[in-house]
Amino acid sequence: MAGLFVSDRYRPQVVDHLVRPRNAGKIADPSGRGESGDAACGDVACFTVGISDDILEQVRYKVYGCAACIAAGSALAELVEGKHLLDAASVSKADLEDALGGPLPAGKEHALTLVVDALHKAFEDHWNRKAGEMLSETKRGQGAGGRSVVAAMSGGVDSAVTALLLREAGYDVATVTFRLHDGERGSRSCCSPDTVLFARDTAHRMGLPHFTLNLKGLFDRRVMQDFVGSYSEGRTPNPCVACNAHVKFHASSFLADELGFHHIATGHYARIEEGPTLARPVDESKDQTYVLWPVPRDLLSRTVFPLGDYRKTEVRAIAEERGLAVAYTPESQDICFIPDGDYRRFIRKKVEAKPGDVVDREGRVLGRHAGVVDFTVGQRRKIGVSAPTPLYVSEVRPRSGQVVVGRRQDLEVREVRVRDLNWFLDPEEAASVQVRYNGSPVPCTVEEADDGWWVAFLDEPVIGVAPGQSAVFYSLDGERVVGGGVVARRGS
Amino acid sequence: MSDPVYLDNAATTPLDPRVLESMLPHLGGPRGNPSSLHAFGGSAREGLEEARARVASLIGASPEEIVFTSGGTEADDLAVLGLARSSGSEKRHAVVSCVEHAAVREAARRLQYEGFEVTWIGVDGDGLVDPAEFAASLRPDTAMAAVVWANNEVGTVEPVLELAEICAGTDIPFHADAVQAAGRVPIDVSETPVSTLALSGHKLYGPQGIGALYVREGVSLEPIVYGGGQEKGLRSGTQNVAGIVGLGTAARLAREEMDDRVTHERGLRDRIMAGLEEIPDVLVNGHRELRLSNNVHLMVSGVEAESLVLFLDSLGYAIGSGSACSSGGHKASPVLLAMGLPEREAFSVVRITVGKDNTTEEVDSFLEAFSTAVAQLREISPLYAG
Repeated sequence: MAGLFVSDRYRPQVVDHLVRPRNAGKIADPSGRGESGDAACGDVACFTVGISDDILEQVRYKVYGCAACIAAGSALAELVEGKHLLDAASVSKADLEDALGGPLPAGKEHALTLVVDALHKAFEDHWNRKAGEMLSETKRGQGAGGRSVVAAMSGGVDSAVTALLLREAGYDVATVTFRLHDGERGSRSCCSPDTVLFARDTAHRMGLPHFTLNLKGLFDRRVMQDFVGSYSEGRTPNPCVACNAHVKFHASSFLADELGFHHIATGHYARIEEGPTLARPVDESKDQTYVLWPVPRDLLSRTVFPLGDYRKTEVRAIAEERGLAVAYTPESQDICFIPDGDYRRFIRKKVEAKPGDVVDREGRVLGRHAGVVDFTVGQRRKIGVSAPTPLYVSEVRPRSGQVVVGRRQDLEVREVRVRDLNWFLDPEEAASVQVRYNGSPVPCTVEEADDGWWVAFLDEPVIGVAPGQSAVFYSLDGERVVGGGVVARRGS
Repeated sequence: MSDPVYLDNAATTPLDPRVLESMLPHLGGPRGNPSSLHAFGGSAREGLEEARARVASLIGASPEEIVFTSGGTEADDLAVLGLARSSGSEKRHAVVSCVEHAAVREAARRLQYEGFEVTWIGVDGDGLVDPAEFAASLRPDTAMAAVVWANNEVGTVEPVLELAEICAGTDIPFHADAVQAAGRVPIDVSETPVSTLALSGHKLYGPQGIGALYVREGVSLEPIVYGGGQEKGLRSGTQNVAGIVGLGTAARLAREEMDDRVTHERGLRDRIMAGLEEIPDVLVNGHRELRLSNNVHLMVSGVEAESLVLFLDSLGYAIGSGSACSSGGHKASPVLLAMGLPEREAFSVVRITVGKDNTTEEVDSFLEAFSTAVAQLREISPLYAG
């Protein structure tokens, strides 16, 4: 008669996994280990995996938590053991629920999230161990002939549709989400940040394997430190450019190599033409060629940008039509690691701001300021000095702490020095240059300087050319990116 | 497998067959409304008044001081809200302990919502209220105070006599929730000057859905249910006659058998405590001596409560869990947190409560099952490194 007393809140499969857990324990010398949850929340799941030749040979789990969590851990371990990594990484919460005999009681769904997250963190640990000092920036290109692709997924609509279009075009698709910094939405939750969980759910709903890679160290070194350092050195950085130059494409490529996949893909709006070279996308209002110039040629040669052929409205329509929940996600913000957009406050938390003088072009002191980090070349507002004609920041001198201001015409520039060049085409083909994210290309001619840098001679003067920003050269028809580099300080 | 063993008597007790028998005539026979003047009504009224006298006699009250309610929760709500709301507009302060059952705690929260200031009296590590602290919290504008006679989770028995006397000396109405204590602790309202006291049928081997509030003569109370003016206007609505008769029988049996029951329960309780304390990293919560005769409350390190309860359930043993897990966040018991238990330990607590019908054999087989369940759950716990 014990049956009468077995709680009807749980299905018999759940009680069976609770009382006779499969694969409980931990592997002494695992390929990866992942933990999700928090003792303070009352649930902790811990997975260890043994992976050999991309086969999940051994899976062991431990759980402290309610019966649902213990049973879910047991069922998941049983489901994935022996599977190929790509199949194991495709196992969704819905698959797990099926294995447990159907939906869990109301309020217990988090058990599924918890154990899937712990298993995926074990996969992530496996990759990080393989990568060593992550995701070292070695670029290994493989042939571009095959039909397999690693698609980066941010949790937004663009990257989700990218993966979907590739799958529908007949590619084998594996998805990956990068952990870049700790400021992600929902970081307070016990499991991974909401963005990671959301991207994983989206991938699993499309039936695609999902992986995570921890790039926090690399991202901090290459993007965030550079961002802070640039401002305090009077330059105006573009963190998306730095990420494309050193992080996102390299990490995708690493995973593609590990999985034996040919291509990598992102949800950028740009096209790739023979060469390879970057070309403008169909949707000009979403054009991201300006931030993609630093992608190394050998990585670009294996990259696919499916969205280059679509308009944003079409992308949303595709997401809606295919029932992707991401169809309604908002546009991402400018700087992903500064969610509130207040980059000055962010920088002040990292470096001490030193007050200094506001001077005119003759060196006369006009006033004081609270730190050079508050100023960008071309800036007109919040200068703190009143004058009969509007004043603009024309130069920032971090060493002396001086901010030089002048009239609009004083800012006009006809020559831009460019360093760190990445050419896709013959520099001779450069017919115009764009020096600001929201600017337009200006006709120019280019000439190589003695030091390997290049000088762009502008046909018409431009104001607000800020050191640190990108200078991107376009072809005569304006459609292709000839190359790009970083605007150097005047006189340097 | 042998018959399931029920060790969750603090949640509800089995219905005593003698109680059931006394109720049957009022369920299956001719039925009248106790307010009706005819013979049918008269017979119902007789059953009602006999039960009232029996309930009064369990706690040393007179029958006119007993108001029947739909259960312990309604009795507590009526007392807390009723005392506070009838105290006049200058008295807008209440004193309530941190170890109350939700019935009192949530009623006090309701008072806060209505604009009352509530002082929550803390407890020590055993869950005991300090009378000096309690006394110091009383103010000229205090409308009422409430402290549970014995806590429903850890079973600690509070110094109610002392607390009630402090209140009586300052003319502040004092409510005691005796839902768990009645039938296990001698209660005599002629000696302990409480103003109101709550009881429940189903914790006393009586029916579910019936309770009573003792209201001392002269204490003014505002009702929370309005209607035909039954129960002296304090609880309108036709009475649950069968339930009340059952509660009356249960109260009579509790008074007659209290000494034997307590001796029997205490023997089983101590046997369980001794057995469980042999398992490493198991700690008893609550006061060792000042504790209900049927209560064992434990923190089992490294094991989450719900999984242990369900594991034992599958082996045929029913015990209570001390926390609830839902939507990705456990809710730790406010009582345990008030006693200073760290939050993560508060997720690892279970309550074992014996009753008059449990046997030594049941307890012994339970101890074996408990130790098996704990060992297996610890084996898969990442938080237990034993």
